[in-house]
Amino acid sequence: MANVNGRARRKNTYDAIVVGSGITGGWAAKELTQKGLKTLVLERGPMVRHLEDYPTATMDPWQTKYPQGQLPSDELNAKYPVQKRTGYTLTEYTRHFFVRDDQNPYTEESRYDWIRGYHVGGRSLTWGRQSYRHSPIDFEANAREGIGVDWPIRYEELAPWYDHVERFIGVSGQAEGLPHLPDGQYQPPMEMNCVEKAFKAKSEARFPERRITMGRTAHLTDPTEEQLALGRTKCQYRNMCIRGCPFGGYYSSNSGGLVAAERTGNLVIRPGSIVTSLIYDEKAGKATGVRILDATTRQEEEFYADVVFLCASAFNSAWIMMNSTSSRFPNGFGNGSDQLGRNVMDHHLGVGASGEAPEFADMYYSGRRPNGIYVPRFRNLGDAATKRSDYLRGFGYQGGASRPGWDRDLTRPGQDPSGPRGFGAARKAALSQPGPWIIGLGGFGEILPYEDNRITLNRDKTDEFGLPTLSMNVTIRENELAMRRDMQTAAAEMLEAAGFKNVEGRDGGYAPGLGIHEMGTARMGRDPKTSVLNAHNQVHECKNVYVTDGAAMTSASCVNPSLTYMALTARAADHAVQARKRGDL
Amino acid sequence: MLLSRRDAIRGLTFTFGVAATGFAGRAMAAAPALGWTPTALTPDQARLVDVVAELIIPKTDTPGAREAGVPQFVDRALADYYNKAQADRLRAGLARMDADARAAHGDVFVALTPEQQIELLNGYDREAAAAQGHTAGEPHFFPLLQDLVTVGYFTSEPGATVALSYDPVPGAYHGCVPLAELGRGWATR
Repeated sequence: MANVNGRARRKNTYDAIVVGSGITGGWAAKELTQKGLKTLVLERGPMVRHLEDYPTATMDPWQTKYPQGQLPSDELNAKYPVQKRTGYTLTEYTRHFFVRDDQNPYTEESRYDWIRGYHVGGRSLTWGRQSYRHSPIDFEANAREGIGVDWPIRYEELAPWYDHVERFIGVSGQAEGLPHLPDGQYQPPMEMNCVEKAFKAKSEARFPERRITMGRTAHLTDPTEEQLALGRTKCQYRNMCIRGCPFGGYYSSNSGGLVAAERTGNLVIRPGSIVTSLIYDEKAGKATGVRILDATTRQEEEFYADVVFLCASAFNSAWIMMNSTSSRFPNGFGNGSDQLGRNVMDHHLGVGASGEAPEFADMYYSGRRPNGIYVPRFRNLGDAATKRSDYLRGFGYQGGASRPGWDRDLTRPGQDPSGPRGFGAARKAALSQPGPWIIGLGGFGEILPYEDNRITLNRDKTDEFGLPTLSMNVTIRENELAMRRDMQTAAAEMLEAAGFKNVEGRDGGYAPGLGIHEMGTARMGRDPKTSVLNAHNQVHECKNVYVTDGAAMTSASCVNPSLTYMALTARAADHAVQARKRGDL
Repeated sequence: MLLSRRDAIRGLTFTFGVAATGFAGRAMAAAPALGWTPTALTPDQARLVDVVAELIIPKTDTPGAREAGVPQFVDRALADYYNKAQADRLRAGLARMDADARAAHGDVFVALTPEQQIELLNGYDREAAAAQGHTAGEPHFFPLLQDLVTVGYFTSEPGATVALSYDPVPGAYHGCVPLAELGRGWATR
């Protein structure tokens, strides 16, 4: 019996275990395997293979079952009452990349839009791909303002890892030389259209501190040998990214990190493996592995390793830790600080301005650019000129100009009537031509870390596997609301300065989660009494467990976070490999 | 929502009484053969949708709704996509079009002259625009039908590739191209 157990244990033993296969799990797998560690990746959902498992990637508009690929309202309400809330992510083209809410319950003490996908690759398949570095002021802000806790690292420590990540994933963008939006390793930027170029010239003349640049996005515009060797090619400007890209034009775990990991021969990936807890050895004072529930057989199983990386997404990594109780950790794994599950952050959005461009009626564009223009943060940059008295931190804008298509006169809920639409040959001819140019700017604002914005483990409400679920209690506060007023006003100012017509500022409202950037639930910090992770993403109280997804974030910045998650992961993986060599884990 | 459909049908029989039954199958005689078998629409409703779709998006130098298979698209939407309230509203609208046609011209909609048909549709279009935004009750049926026909047409292969331009794999983005060089709007964005 002992022999059998010994054999089973050896069979289930690896150098490293990575929990999750999304944007950070893919990176942990790549770095650990390339540095020689036999690595097991555990993914709770099914396998999605690059190219093979993108069933809708090349569907034409006339091949959908439903009009415009929109799912019937009865199905949305029954199966996807949360996932449908963004209004744009969940369609016939994409539903296999999002969870069924009826099968993945949680409790909304306050509204929380938890948008997610459980499958190999996770949200790296459906992400927005915008890729910006956190800046020196982002890493210093908490300490300077006495908010939350200080980041245990500074920009300079992460900069080489940003370089490393950008070179591998491929980021197209324009270097701007701004200290508050550091430049990176960029492939050529995508092109602005006529109206965006005119907007940049006119708005920057009036507001020189509000730089307008091309979005920095994880798309290949001039692939490297390494990227081509992985089977990825240049972005084809289809703008169907969310269905999975048959060209590998944008970065995903499936087309990038996991492929590189697989080629080392050191990777084992096990889909259908729901990690339920970390296994803690009280005597050794470290984790020895993880317990899983097989999603198909519903059997429990244990896997063992010297080092564990939690990359399951901010909420699910926190969930695993909360669910890993022992006499050493009665309140959750590594939770001596009581900060586990707290300080939930996102980016608040849905506010900005739009206008109409009277010029360039004779100009159009070809290709579908999966990217827009970007206005880096221009408030509270540390000088008197940009200082706001009404709020801390700042926001950036993402936007763009385009000519609306044939669907521009369709009725939309809540839209005011603009008179009879007409029908017949004249309307048909008009809709066969592009509509007048429109331009819009939408803000992405920083949310401060509030201790009482938290998720908790709810043992009373269980899912179909009998596992406890999460309860959400997250709200935005005065700082964010004051920022939103400025986000609306400043956007309208810029469009007006550029001479656009019918400029309209708008706050369409925001619910926590809608940014799909949840983070902060196991923050990094210098002091084990006030943070969960140290400067290398190790759990303060258990050094062979690293958490490198959004949970680690000490503050949110206003830029899209995935690039930073990847850089933190690569840096932590390097640390883990060195520490393991030294025998320090 | 079921009530409104019943009300519409009840209203119809009340107004036209016995005479209404005399129109059963009238559409079959008055309109061209369908060439396809509806699943959610009745044959008479399908003929009506066929005629109205072609009025909304007629054949010009590019294919019209009929050639693009829009009536079948409407039938599929009714079968698979619409919820009960929407389906009821559309069916009640179709019933109303025939009722109005009989009241005004003594025959079902498909049997009227194109001028008479267009006049009725113009009335619905104006009525819907006036009702939009400030009716607490059920939305008008005409925008629903008009939207469905428009979506069906411009997402069909002829609509997307002939009336509009469609490029599944553009390969590049050019931000400033003279519209005259491109000629038409893009089918997708």
